[in-house]
Amino acid sequence: MISNSRQMILDRIRAATRSETNRYDEISRGYIRAGTLDSNGRIHLMTERLHEYGADVVECAPAEIRQAILRQIQLSGKHKIVIPPGLSADWLGEGVNWLPDKDLTHDQIEACEGVLTASSAGIADSGTIVLHHGTEEGRRVISLLPDFHLCILYASQIVETLPEYFSRFPDPPRLATYISGPSATADIEMTRIKGVHGPRFLSVIIVRDDS
Amino acid sequence: MSGPVMDPRLAPPFPKAALPILQNTQLRKNVAHATDVIQTKRNRLVAEKTDWQELRTSAAAIRAHVLANLATYLDEFEKKCTAAGGVVHWARDAAEARQIIIAILQEEQATEVIKIKTMTSAEIQLNPALEAAGIIAIETDLAELILQLGQDEPSHIVVPALHVNRQQVREIFARRMGLPQLPDDPEALTAAARTYLRKKFLSVPTAISGANFLIAENGSVAIVESEGNGRMCLTLPRTLITLAGIEKVLPRFSDLEVLLQVLARSATGERLNPYNSLWSGVVPGDGPQRFHVVLLDNGRSEILGRKVERQTLQCIRCAACLNTCPVYRQTGGHAYGSPYAGPIGAILTPQLEHMRHGQSLPYASSLCAACYEVCPVKINIPEVLIDLRAKVVDQEREEVKRWTDPMYMGMKAANLVFASESRFRLAQWFGRLGLRLFTDKDGWIRKLPSLGARWTLSRDLPAMPDQTFRNWWAEREGRGGKEAR
Repeated sequence: MISNSRQMILDRIRAATRSETNRYDEISRGYIRAGTLDSNGRIHLMTERLHEYGADVVECAPAEIRQAILRQIQLSGKHKIVIPPGLSADWLGEGVNWLPDKDLTHDQIEACEGVLTASSAGIADSGTIVLHHGTEEGRRVISLLPDFHLCILYASQIVETLPEYFSRFPDPPRLATYISGPSATADIEMTRIKGVHGPRFLSVIIVRDDS
Repeated sequence: MSGPVMDPRLAPPFPKAALPILQNTQLRKNVAHATDVIQTKRNRLVAEKTDWQELRTSAAAIRAHVLANLATYLDEFEKKCTAAGGVVHWARDAAEARQIIIAILQEEQATEVIKIKTMTSAEIQLNPALEAAGIIAIETDLAELILQLGQDEPSHIVVPALHVNRQQVREIFARRMGLPQLPDDPEALTAAARTYLRKKFLSVPTAISGANFLIAENGSVAIVESEGNGRMCLTLPRTLITLAGIEKVLPRFSDLEVLLQVLARSATGERLNPYNSLWSGVVPGDGPQRFHVVLLDNGRSEILGRKVERQTLQCIRCAACLNTCPVYRQTGGHAYGSPYAGPIGAILTPQLEHMRHGQSLPYASSLCAACYEVCPVKINIPEVLIDLRAKVVDQEREEVKRWTDPMYMGMKAANLVFASESRFRLAQWFGRLGLRLFTDKDGWIRKLPSLGARWTLSRDLPAMPDQTFRNWWAEREGRGGKEAR
């Protein structure tokens, strides 16, 4: 019965589109693909966009990552922070209750105040953080339930335009989350309210590995 | 007042449904405010995009390409999604889709299911069917939750509760969540929804979503959203069911570089939506370990076969056409009697109903073409509206009542008159004579009898001039001719 429906639908579609030629490589692509900014410009734009969303942004040198993380966590007032299993131990300073995600239950993650992750890319034009959920970014759930998301983004990972991101990853990831500012809604009288279900606070550390 | 009817099979015709709404000043105020806010944001972000027209052209070309090769891409999507651990189902119509979904939920022994806002689920009227099967559907989008708790219906594709204001939301939440002290500021109302839904997210093991895009290349599904309720539903449950129209497929992952840009700007006036989620099949250890996709036809393959109407399926549900439409902006969504309102609803609804219902909708337009101008995938909505009007007229011509229909008889008579010069001249002469009876001293006609009253009810008519253009021309020729010679 179900396979029957499949055949019927595909037959109808084929009958409706018979003898048409419309080739993929003939699709017009006149839009802007590559940006024009240099590394400083990209970081500046990324920061500006993140600020528009109410996210917190700081920069640090590659040698200062651990210190920068500690400082941001202290500023947030959070203590119990969940981390992906593959996160570099060099990043984890003293005085924070780090909770590595080794098959944690949803309730255990929910009980955490924050999460620290790496990221796969940043898109300056839209202020977007890209997660592909590898071992340094963790399962989707850990960057979802805690209220505070601290994210490490290398300057070399920042592209200017969305098309540049797609050319950087020609093989589609199995999982991806694009975060453009904290969770928000405008469903009541179009008033923008920050923080409905996802993390209400997003903090980004941009690591200057470009200079 | 009873609630709005959103089933095109039962809804009254548009002009009738619109009348009470036009008298509801509160609703009209709410709709005008919301559409103004979105339009202003949208226009600002479109203006900053120097390649906006090129993006539209590409977006339209990608969507048209998909439709021309739909069977190939659906086949590829099914293969890749299945290889990634998903189960793909095919539903010819709404009833079959409901059956498939309920069967899966019963196998899961589900008593509750959390839902991400999906237009397609409203199209197949899933929630009442779930209820009848003893399964409680919990809407998790804030607007959908407001409507569900308030027993109201969506009136917009992107912001479905835009017709409800904060006092009304407060009243609904206070009553249904048992929070009599709840204040009416949006922040407190949103926080109440967060608390209410958090328990559900963490405890309900089954979820239903729609799909913004299906990617053929790797069998993945894309969902765009703002609140994070989508991410919750896509991540926490054990089992996920995605319901998607067959037209939602895109060839490649990288085609999102066009579609995501135009969708976010058109829908909410953002550069990208706060959250975009993509996943292919089942990923061990991350998210739902059972994943089903239901591919829904429900009239779409029929639309695909019609030359002018096919472009209807290019739609990516951004609702920019609603926000800009001078008709929608007056009536809101309920008058359309369908989950799909506004210009896109006016062309989509009657076609999904095989032109058997919703025939008044193609007339719910001034044909001003503002919808075409903002459409990110360049659907020529006015062109489709006109074509559908022709189909409705063809249908009416078939009907027996035509000989008693004054409009039909009037058109027949006009046809006869315009076909011959002498009949036309005679009609002009009679018309001038007849209309003189109804002409006021100042040269205006203010009240006509019978059919003509429909015109004079809202508009005055100037009197027929003493001389027709043809008489004047003949006279002028007579005089001028002599002088020239």
